Amino acid sequence: MKLSEVLEITGATCIAGERLEDIEVNHAFASDLMSDVLAMSRPDTLLITGLTTPQIIRTAQMLDLPAILVVRGKNVPRDVTDLARATGIVLLSTHDIMYVASGKLYARGLSG
Amino acid sequence: MSLEQSVEALRYLGLFSSLDASSVMSTAAHALHPEDRVAAARTLMREKSISGVPIVDADFRLVGLISVSKIIEALADGRLADSVDSVMTRHVIVLHLHDTFEEILSCFERFKFGRFPVIEEDGKLVGMITDTDVLSAIIRSFYSVYVHDQRRTMTLGSFSALSKEFENSADFVHDISSTGLENAGEGSARLKAFLQGKGFGESVVRRASVCAYEAEINVCIHAGGQGSLRAIARDGEIIVRVEDKGPGIENIDLAMKEGWSTATDAIRELGFGAGMGLPNIRRFSDHLVIISGKDKPTKVEMIFLADKE
Repeated sequence: MKLSEVLEITGATCIAGERLEDIEVNHAFASDLMSDVLAMSRPDTLLITGLTTPQIIRTAQMLDLPAILVVRGKNVPRDVTDLARATGIVLLSTHDIMYVASGKLYARGLSG
Repeated sequence: MSLEQSVEALRYLGLFSSLDASSVMSTAAHALHPEDRVAAARTLMREKSISGVPIVDADFRLVGLISVSKIIEALADGRLADSVDSVMTRHVIVLHLHDTFEEILSCFERFKFGRFPVIEEDGKLVGMITDTDVLSAIIRSFYSVYVHDQRRTMTLGSFSALSKEFENSADFVHDISSTGLENAGEGSARLKAFLQGKGFGESVVRRASVCAYEAEINVCIHAGGQGSLRAIARDGEIIVRVEDKGPGIENIDLAMKEGWSTATDAIRELGFGAGMGLPNIRRFSDHLVIISGKDKPTKVEMIFLADKE
């Protein structure tokens, strides 16, 4: 699934990164526990999380994850968006709660 | 193997570097005063099954030692009613509180005595070290070491707990200095770029980066954010060493269990402290050694093999 489709399906806005139609994700992982995310280690995965700390970017960076979808419409601090840009990780934000955002994407074919 | 070689081997293992006389000695030392009778020394030795008694003055400063052989001499000369002062050895070979494990071993080798008093800087007796104490300390050390090896090719002859290369230099060095979790991950991000630059494959770089990141997070959560992250990358092998200055892991077996953590709720709110750090490191490393202990520094060394992919 292209990131541009993720944006459309969850009604998200892009807060860092560009060219969403060129970036593809094949899986998604939803968690607020970064150690659980790190245990997964699969590169072409969209991280769905309610956290907005710099560690979500670092976690994505270590795992080569292309993008993060922040749920619950949380305000993402400036240093986090800066770090996302510096590391080339796309940051999307939706007002959906984690369950709803995950359900919408799963229903449209983005598997776990 | 000579003792010198053994000591060298121990240094190579790196297992006992945090042991000193204070952690080896028995603190419940029995002592007598110079004016006590030789007979009292004989009774004490028999009752406590010890082969030597330290003699201390009123301030507990060591002034001599009376051994079994001195008792036998006194017995032969009919001097059991004399004061220990008149038969004790005055020039006692002593250990100091902060003498290293190697110094203790070489003391046993050089002087062939069964026991050595341990004194503080002011000369006060604080404990005794016997060969049994040394043996117990070695056994205790093994409880503070965790070794996991995917390769299963370890033999005692070639086994070394920690890589010796780090003593001289490292290909990658990063000082961890972080308050809170804010900067946690900087070192691992740098390490990742370094390994990519060295031409290592995507997957091994990812495994090494994830483990370095978990270890870096641990330094920030548990060791006040002060430590180092170093790596040696050569011949299809990445060795990563993360060290801190303590307070150490009291029970490594517990720390290796998934879901076990001593982290605070504040840390959990940041997405860590769920007790997955070390289990994750074990999952993604091919070889893992952890050396720690209560109030000791923690050393975590991980090896990642590129040819696994």
